[in-house]
Amino acid sequence: MLIPNIYTMSVMTSSKNLNVTIIFAFIFVIAFINADFSISTLDPLSEINKFFSGITQIEFSKITIYYDAIINTVRIAVVAIFVSAFLGFILAMYFHFMIVRVCLAFVRSIHELFWALLFLQIFGLNTMTALLAIILPYSATLGKVYFEILEEYDVFPKELQSSKASRLSTFIYTKLPDALPQLLSYTRYRFECALKSTAILGFIGLTTLGYYMQGSFMQGYYGDVWLLLIIFYIIIASIKYWFNKYLAPFLLMMSLYTLDDFSGFNLDNFMRFITEDIVPSPIRKNESLFEVYAWFENIAVNEIMPGIFNTIVLTQVSLIMTGLLALVFFPFISKYFVNKPSNVFGNIVLVIFRSTPEYILAYLFLQIWGPSMLPAVIALSLHNGAIIGFIMGEQSNEVKLRSDSTKRKIELYFFEIVPRIYSSFLAFLFYRWEVIMRESAILGILGIATLGFYVDSAIADIRLDKVVILLFFIALLNILVDTISRKVRAYLRINTTVKSSCDLV
Amino acid sequence: MILLDKESLYYKDKIVLDNISLSINKGEKVALLGKSGSGKSTLLKRLYELNPQDSSYIPQELGLVNSLSVFHNIYIANLDKYSTFYNIRNLIKPAQQEINIIEPILEELYMGELMFQKAGELSGGQKQRTAIGRAMLQGHKVLLADEPISALDEFVTQKVLSSIASKFETIVCALHNVDVALEYYDRVIGIKDGKIVLDKQCSHITNADTQHLYHVCDDQF
Repeated sequence: MLIPNIYTMSVMTSSKNLNVTIIFAFIFVIAFINADFSISTLDPLSEINKFFSGITQIEFSKITIYYDAIINTVRIAVVAIFVSAFLGFILAMYFHFMIVRVCLAFVRSIHELFWALLFLQIFGLNTMTALLAIILPYSATLGKVYFEILEEYDVFPKELQSSKASRLSTFIYTKLPDALPQLLSYTRYRFECALKSTAILGFIGLTTLGYYMQGSFMQGYYGDVWLLLIIFYIIIASIKYWFNKYLAPFLLMMSLYTLDDFSGFNLDNFMRFITEDIVPSPIRKNESLFEVYAWFENIAVNEIMPGIFNTIVLTQVSLIMTGLLALVFFPFISKYFVNKPSNVFGNIVLVIFRSTPEYILAYLFLQIWGPSMLPAVIALSLHNGAIIGFIMGEQSNEVKLRSDSTKRKIELYFFEIVPRIYSSFLAFLFYRWEVIMRESAILGILGIATLGFYVDSAIADIRLDKVVILLFFIALLNILVDTISRKVRAYLRINTTVKSSCDLV
Repeated sequence: MILLDKESLYYKDKIVLDNISLSINKGEKVALLGKSGSGKSTLLKRLYELNPQDSSYIPQELGLVNSLSVFHNIYIANLDKYSTFYNIRNLIKPAQQEINIIEPILEELYMGELMFQKAGELSGGQKQRTAIGRAMLQGHKVLLADEPISALDEFVTQKVLSSIASKFETIVCALHNVDVALEYYDRVIGIKDGKIVLDKQCSHITNADTQHLYHVCDDQF
């Protein structure tokens, strides 16, 4: 599996790229040996067959059943992104404070599905839970990225800034105008993510598109699954036509006006949650400090440690598989390797894998192979490999070759194109690392023994004290990966602007 | 009066101008000559820091906001004179009162029709004139400008230099064109290798001095 990289290396000038590749390949081998790739379904082939034959059974007239789900998905995403953008902007102004940085890092590193599972216990299964689950991690992410964008555009000479002018005046005249297009474009990208996240929230019972998708999956109505997927792709692909500066404010008003189902919210639940539910049970029962320690040790040994181990195994295997798939994918959309028709076809395939959330892919593969790391790895690497492959393909099209360069495609690939884009390839992969880790944890909900599995079981047992401890370690693990990723990128001295990293975070 | 007494100036921890003394009297129009990297910019920045309240400064990179119009870029000089609320309002829709103030400045710089063009869409010379317009609006007595006319053609250079001269009492302007310096300024200062190598009134300049200045400004030496 490493042969392409070794070939590439021979012509690569940077030994640092080689070092990093070897270290991560080595970790991959160890993780791979420890991963469970068993297939537990009796007849996987017939499942695949059933799923694909579902395409022929699509009944488009059924779309009327899903109107409510479509509207609900869109309006939750619209309200969530507006609130998140507003909060994110305020947070960006205070991002230089250490405490804000640390808090946002924690909030950001917990997946929206975990937040939803948590809020479910407080507010019940309603719109409030859905909104908060999106708004919390999204405003934290937007706050960080807004800050980075504004920092990049902080170029107005200090000598020309009058100390007597108000800070707001200076900000809106000298910083905001040039940064605004970038801020808006990132917010639009985040809106697309919010639509996906909102749809996924259906898998835990909120009445968005995912809810019906899961129902159809469970009953084996694959025709309906396909119909829902197609609706989903159309919504995603058409965003630019209905979420623009003219329609977005109107959509916001409509969404705010029509959003309903806030039932079940009461303050008592919330107070009980923070004063009782999340307090470790031995403390609640006034037991000795020793009991508290025993309680924690039990969780640490039986759940946190195996959970962390499996999460890391899944993440590292998926990371390298993502890289390999990206290296395989990108030639299919590159003008140097395929002709126009194949290029169009390659683009369509990549767009489909890019737009299908990894959670849905994992859910699908799980039906086919049963719960093990296999469906999770395939889902994570297909989705992320398509994202990175897409950007690499675009980059390869910008490469200018000498007119006397080789015409043989295999040589072109290993000696001309890949060496030129390998550094940025590594950068993209490391940007995506944290996302893969976050998803690895969440896929535990589907029955793979990563940290999410233990969170899900603890919720099922209504042991919220344990949930909070587990979420804390999930966040910690993510922050650790993010820190290592930043260090590695600094070591590789990869100059990526905020612009190129935006679509990866 | 602007005064430097045996000062050494640094740029990013590197000494650029070593132990220099300089005095510029009120009303003087001084040209700084020297090749790029000779320390002209560092010197101008220092002169600005000595008296920021009463000086207008045009840095070499101009400091324009590309997405804002010429009008707003010039208005930036007045941000401290108005309330935040008025500034926001004027950003959204320029007030007629402000247009009336800024229009004559632009006319003088031959930029009348470009008032609502975005700065990012302007040519190099138009950008320089916008930065000059911003300095003019400030209404300070001293101008410290770093190669503000390098991209202007001869005709516009002449007009712009004379309107600068009428608007500001004291001017220190970095240039790399010896002829322009001798024609439009009262005094020239040549800088080379971290030292002032020539400092004379233009009326006292000899042919040998001119040759010396050409040499000082030539990037090939």
